[in-house]
Amino acid sequence: MEVTIKIFRYNPEKDKRGHYETYKVEAHENDRVLDVLELVKGHKDGTLSFRRSCAHGVCGSDAMRINGRNMLACKTLIRDVGANITVEPIMGLKVAKDLIVDMNPFFDNYKKMLPYLINDNPLPADGKERLQSPEQRARFDESTKCILCAACTTSCPSFWASDEYYGPAALVTAHRFIFDSRDEGAEQRLHVLSETNGTARCHTAYNCTEACPRDIQITKAIGELKMAMVTGKID
Amino acid sequence: MQTKARTLPLSKRGMSFETVMWLFTRLTALAMYGFIFIGIVGAFVMGAQNDMSFVEVLRWALMPNTGHVTYTNVPEISPYASMFWKSVASLFFLTAAGHGVHGVVVILDDYFAKPSQRKWIRFWNISIVAVIIPIGIYVIWMG
Repeated sequence: MEVTIKIFRYNPEKDKRGHYETYKVEAHENDRVLDVLELVKGHKDGTLSFRRSCAHGVCGSDAMRINGRNMLACKTLIRDVGANITVEPIMGLKVAKDLIVDMNPFFDNYKKMLPYLINDNPLPADGKERLQSPEQRARFDESTKCILCAACTTSCPSFWASDEYYGPAALVTAHRFIFDSRDEGAEQRLHVLSETNGTARCHTAYNCTEACPRDIQITKAIGELKMAMVTGKID
Repeated sequence: MQTKARTLPLSKRGMSFETVMWLFTRLTALAMYGFIFIGIVGAFVMGAQNDMSFVEVLRWALMPNTGHVTYTNVPEISPYASMFWKSVASLFFLTAAGHGVHGVVVILDDYFAKPSQRKWIRFWNISIVAVIIPIGIYVIWMG
């Protein structure tokens, strides 16, 4: 089938502002949008720039706006979006070139959540691992699925307004560690979350939940963080 | 394996002004439903079954202030001029003003991200509500 793909283009060395270019390529309905982008780059215009790495929905590199919705190009089939496709960079982050955005503000916010296990207590007597029951693991299982693709954060109206807001992905990271029974850093993280740009900026628009390619219930996770701040319960 | 319940004391939960106001906004929203319920029940108890339309009942529920309902069909409005109803109206008004001003500040924070801008927005919003509250309380008690 013939696919018409309209792609946002911006070259900071030549363009004052972004524009769209349209390409027509032959593709199968079971091909992915990423395949179509590769066809355009390989056969039509080698200057097209976009991020991709694993191409199997694990690395989170190729989050982009496809027909107005944040998706991973490697997980989106042509048959699901139709033969007329518009591809744009994710919103709220500065465009570096074409579909590539500057992810630094996103990762700066991520780092503020202290995304590592904090536990200064001595190891158990056997000197091995800190054990955890299946129930304790299940408590934060969903938030471990995050691949940091930024689809959620860049679909959030509060983040569009200001990239100072930590954003859903960072809050999911906080959730992943705060509710981990082995972690002792909940107090530090909750203090970060209670700042002006923390959970208070979430207005439960649910865009993040809808955008997440890993089907994480992000708004629910943020709600659990808010409740943890009020009740102190982190089990 | 750690199995005891993990609950952080109040001092370790990040109970900042933002968190307190987030909680305040949720609780005041619930409180306003309570005030509306009290107003509707009160209106029916005091004769609304016979003398008021549903629209007027709602008006009483949302604005339980004698000055606002002089022109309804209720023959006797003096019960609403009691200390109880004036207190209910005052609490409802204060709750709504606090809830509203914080809601406006939160929404405006989405559009003004610089700390200096946010400081001014807070100053002006709090100033406006500081003027409106005495006027509202005056109308309720003296109207």
